[in-house]
Amino acid sequence: MKKILKITVNGQPYELLIKDKTLLLDVLRDHLGLTGAKRACDSGACGACTVILDGMAVKSCSVLALQADGAEVMTIEGLAKDNNLHPLQKAFLDHGAVQCGFCTPGMLMSAKALLDENPKPDKQQIKEGLDGHICRCTGYNSLVRAITDVVKGEYKEAK
Amino acid sequence: MTKYSQIGKRVNMIGGTDKVTGNAKYTTDITLPGMLYGKILRSPHAHARILNIDTSRAEKMVGVKAVATGKDTIGMKQGIWRRFPELCDEEIVCRTKARFIGDPVASVAAVDEDTAEEALELIKVDYEVLPAVFDPMEAITEEAPQIHEGVELNINVNRHIEWGNVDDAFKKCDHVREDQFVCSSQAHMCMETHCAVSSFDYNRKLTVWTSTQSSYYIQVLLSGMLGMREGDIRVINPYTGGGFGSKFELDSAQFCSAILSKKVCKPVKVVLNRMEEFTATKRRTPMYYFVKLGAKKDGTLLAKEVRVITEGGAYTGMGATALYLTGFFSSFPYKFPNYRYDGYRAYTNTQPSSAMRGFGAPQSTFVGESQLDMMADDLGIDPIEIRRKNGMTPDYVVPGQAFIQSCGLHQCLDKIEAHIKERGKLPPNRGIGIAAYGFMSGGIFNWFDTPYSFSAAIVKINIDGKVDLFTGANEIGQGSDTTLSLICAEELGVKFDDIRIHSADTGICPADLGAWGSRQTLMSGNAVKMAAADAKRQILEFAAAKLGVNIVYDLDCKDCFIHLVDRPERGVSYYDIVKAAIRGKDGETIIGRGHYTPHRKGMISPAYSFGLQAVEVEVDTETGKYKLLNVTTAHDSGKVINPVGIEGQLEGAIMMAGGYGYCEDQPIDKNGKVLNAAIGDYQMIRSLDMPETKILEIDTFEPEGPFGAKEAGEGLTNPTAGAIGNAIYKAVGVRVNKLPITPEKVFRALREKEKKDKKKKNNKKK
Amino acid sequence: MIKDFELFTPKTLDEALTLLNKYKDNCKVIAGGQTLILLMRQGLLTPSYVIDIKRIPELNFIKSDKDGLRIGAVTTHRTIEKSPIMKKGFKVLAEMESRLSYIQTRNWGTIGGNLCNADPAGDGAPVLMALKASVKLAGAEGERSMALEDFFVDSFKTALKPNEILTEIQIPALKPHTGVAYDKFNIIEGTLGTAGVAVSITLKAGGVCNDVRIALGGMANTPMLAIKAEKLLRGKKITDALLKEAGQAASAEVKPVSDILASDEYRRELAKIMVARVGNEAFTRAKKA
Repeated sequence: MKKILKITVNGQPYELLIKDKTLLLDVLRDHLGLTGAKRACDSGACGACTVILDGMAVKSCSVLALQADGAEVMTIEGLAKDNNLHPLQKAFLDHGAVQCGFCTPGMLMSAKALLDENPKPDKQQIKEGLDGHICRCTGYNSLVRAITDVVKGEYKEAK
Repeated sequence: MTKYSQIGKRVNMIGGTDKVTGNAKYTTDITLPGMLYGKILRSPHAHARILNIDTSRAEKMVGVKAVATGKDTIGMKQGIWRRFPELCDEEIVCRTKARFIGDPVASVAAVDEDTAEEALELIKVDYEVLPAVFDPMEAITEEAPQIHEGVELNINVNRHIEWGNVDDAFKKCDHVREDQFVCSSQAHMCMETHCAVSSFDYNRKLTVWTSTQSSYYIQVLLSGMLGMREGDIRVINPYTGGGFGSKFELDSAQFCSAILSKKVCKPVKVVLNRMEEFTATKRRTPMYYFVKLGAKKDGTLLAKEVRVITEGGAYTGMGATALYLTGFFSSFPYKFPNYRYDGYRAYTNTQPSSAMRGFGAPQSTFVGESQLDMMADDLGIDPIEIRRKNGMTPDYVVPGQAFIQSCGLHQCLDKIEAHIKERGKLPPNRGIGIAAYGFMSGGIFNWFDTPYSFSAAIVKINIDGKVDLFTGANEIGQGSDTTLSLICAEELGVKFDDIRIHSADTGICPADLGAWGSRQTLMSGNAVKMAAADAKRQILEFAAAKLGVNIVYDLDCKDCFIHLVDRPERGVSYYDIVKAAIRGKDGETIIGRGHYTPHRKGMISPAYSFGLQAVEVEVDTETGKYKLLNVTTAHDSGKVINPVGIEGQLEGAIMMAGGYGYCEDQPIDKNGKVLNAAIGDYQMIRSLDMPETKILEIDTFEPEGPFGAKEAGEGLTNPTAGAIGNAIYKAVGVRVNKLPITPEKVFRALREKEKKDKKKKNNKKK
Repeated sequence: MIKDFELFTPKTLDEALTLLNKYKDNCKVIAGGQTLILLMRQGLLTPSYVIDIKRIPELNFIKSDKDGLRIGAVTTHRTIEKSPIMKKGFKVLAEMESRLSYIQTRNWGTIGGNLCNADPAGDGAPVLMALKASVKLAGAEGERSMALEDFFVDSFKTALKPNEILTEIQIPALKPHTGVAYDKFNIIEGTLGTAGVAVSITLKAGGVCNDVRIALGGMANTPMLAIKAEKLLRGKKITDALLKEAGQAASAEVKPVSDILASDEYRRELAKIMVARVGNEAFTRAKKA
């Protein structure tokens, strides 16, 4: 069975004919070519597919695309503004919070959603915000430091 | 003027902006025109003869373009230990026998993944199920089923290391301990699973994009398995989502995608799902240790005897190296006058065990550091003191094995001792445990039998002064592109941003053995340094002519300024000289070449890192659950080239090594099936459980390494499990000798101790 | 690989029930799908029809009045976690939700979905059972209610008929001097617990226990009440020693299995330790209430 999905991704509206069973992750990667969100596990437990759906961080591998009909989705490709990196992206780079980078898009989406909901999280809240993610490379603490510096205002958002 | 202008700088990693913007394309992200999707059918039995495979129904399915079985291969077996053909025992796609649950038997390429998966269900395989054996101790008995033809008692490899006379030495000891330990398996758990896109074209040439730690190894192994010339295969390494030792052997994704592509001359993408990743790739080698340690009552270690049996799984892979290294590093980092190691690797019908970050040393360090603390406790000697008394020092020679040049172990001991003192008296049920380690910076033994130097590099200087650096070294997230660019920039005398690196594409880069055994900073780094020096020499010739200075003066380049070494303010612009050099040689491109192979550096490695780690834990004595509060590490990695990179390696290693100590394992059921083959079931440290980390800097210089650098990524994975064990003992007086040290095991040990203490008390009363 | 299905997105509960009644033999209801999608991806569930109830407004609410709390089945975990209503007497629910899986799961997954999954170690059940929750089920034949502990029939099996939907969870108002506490034991934070314990203690004068509930997860084939342990406390003055006895009784009552997380013996020990600890916390809260 197929249906029309109406969805806005990174500010761009789309109308797609998809199978009912299609997951949001499949739409992003396979239909829209936005490969930032990753397939890294089959059990919705690693966080690498995280995107922001109507302001909430969700695992796109565990959301039926049609349940996002009419929704607004932000993926990692929508984080930078024109040719300026978002403060979170700059902070991650400066703090070495990126190594192999496979978990990075998902991490940045959770970090953005966290700060959008609460601009001044404490360390524990930042760790909670990242707890849905596995990173095999960094040991998480550099990400916490990067986000903390953004919270402190060490990075300015581009106008 | 500071000594170095580029190395030691905190820079953003090369490739970082692609990663944070989602623009980085990994193998899993690649889509090519006409690309097909491949899936692999795997044996559900741990040990079975393959009687017949009927693929006819799958072949007829709409959307299926190719089906392949062992009959579509040339029937070769392969392995990394090419010098020893009997250890090249893996067909990858089984022709006659499956040896573990997950062993590939067939594959399908179809227009989409769903079709490929459905087609697998249409392939009918007739198996004759054979008895299987999972425990290495059982596998080496007469009754056990034979897993590989001609291998008696399933003993795959044995290794022996010896110096001095342990039997005599034990007689001279005041105290001797004998202990047993069990070191568990561990999954690499790379975020990007094994994957490959193979494209075999009508010119009979093959291009493979794959997530790998060694493009060169994959090129060579594929050529052997496909019966193709190496030069007709090009292996490209896109952004790679982790390796940790799992991705430098030829794997099923690469081989199956290549065979399938060859059948239809279309690109075929094979991406392993997470369950395949957990069960049908390779893993850390589980080891059973029997260790005897002897010392004088003042704590001088006189003798150590180690016997190990490892669970090899179904194929050798790199298991032979892990077997040797665990025996070698069981002597680290101490001066044992007498030492003996005997190691045996047994085939079992389980997922093959091979290389994983640390390569046998996390196991040997857990065992050695636990036992050493036990010895210290028996003798009433402080754990720092006993390590100080016996620790290796610079220029130590491990008899018949290794030359240690730089060794910062004692500075590390001093730093950690100060840290522990600073922590002061801890509240009840809290303790700090330490563990020391040493590790290699790349291996010496050429078991792959490469005719090439172990590393090589090419530096090309362009007319505008920008530099192209070509290296076979693989960037897998550890930052080697960044580190090597820093080395190149420093040696050449330009800025880090002037370097554009091209790595791990066998079509354009010179061969390099790849990212394993912590070899790239030292070995690839030395090759890069040599290539940069060669290119620099060519332009300095022109600078000397231009400047016309007295012959006694040497020239060098720094920050794009070519200058007299003795009078650094006098010189000429690098950019002007580059133009002059190219013009002066009829427009010839300036190319520098470099290579490196360790010669006469002993049996193991040209250089060794050292360190000491202190882990502080707090134990809940009722449940046995413990918190990793903080991990403080003093480590000697020689001159730090890429500080952001090293800090990342250290913290990342703690997550992995802490997990090895605390929660990671791969239990199997009675049929040999892995019970926790999913993220969520396989327990790993996440951000809420990650301890606070602290790095204590020490300063050493390794003569063998580029600018004095040596390894960091693996050595740091060695100590954490041992330090955790020692910390729990300090906190609550119990030990667990079987990894991982789970809350339940601590609970049982605490209850045992209570029973014993009660008994002692009652006996005292009597 | 998910098997093809037809998705319906009804706008009202009645529409949903009509569809469900029609396709009940080959159908699954999806709310957040955080477990359902996983099972479908693994091929363990292959419905031909899926009814999406996530956006039915009448199933998404948190209402509080003097009679107690009513939570619509498709209310997300995160909504409950962040709801200001929870602070007024039901903060234990917010505490449980804050430790349930990870933020992404809580943003999309629902309390109803969690209960219908009927995982013996599920996070939601022990706290709700301690709160004496009941569930409302709606089907083509009408509505019915039952105590939550009766809703769980076996591992991953509920009392739902094939044409029924869980519509709401009802929690009676807390009596005065009632304290409710919860703890979960896991090896890594956020993961499904090896064991979960929730205790509710209602006091009367003199620190005497008037009423008590001890609910455990991960200790049997369904979430369970430790009836014998409860009996030990009811009508008695709460002391440390008595709570420890209750823990002992609970550990004898539970019927845990051995799995990759823990042995059955260790689970019994955890029951003993946690019932005493959580009971203590509930007692402390009851004294303040």
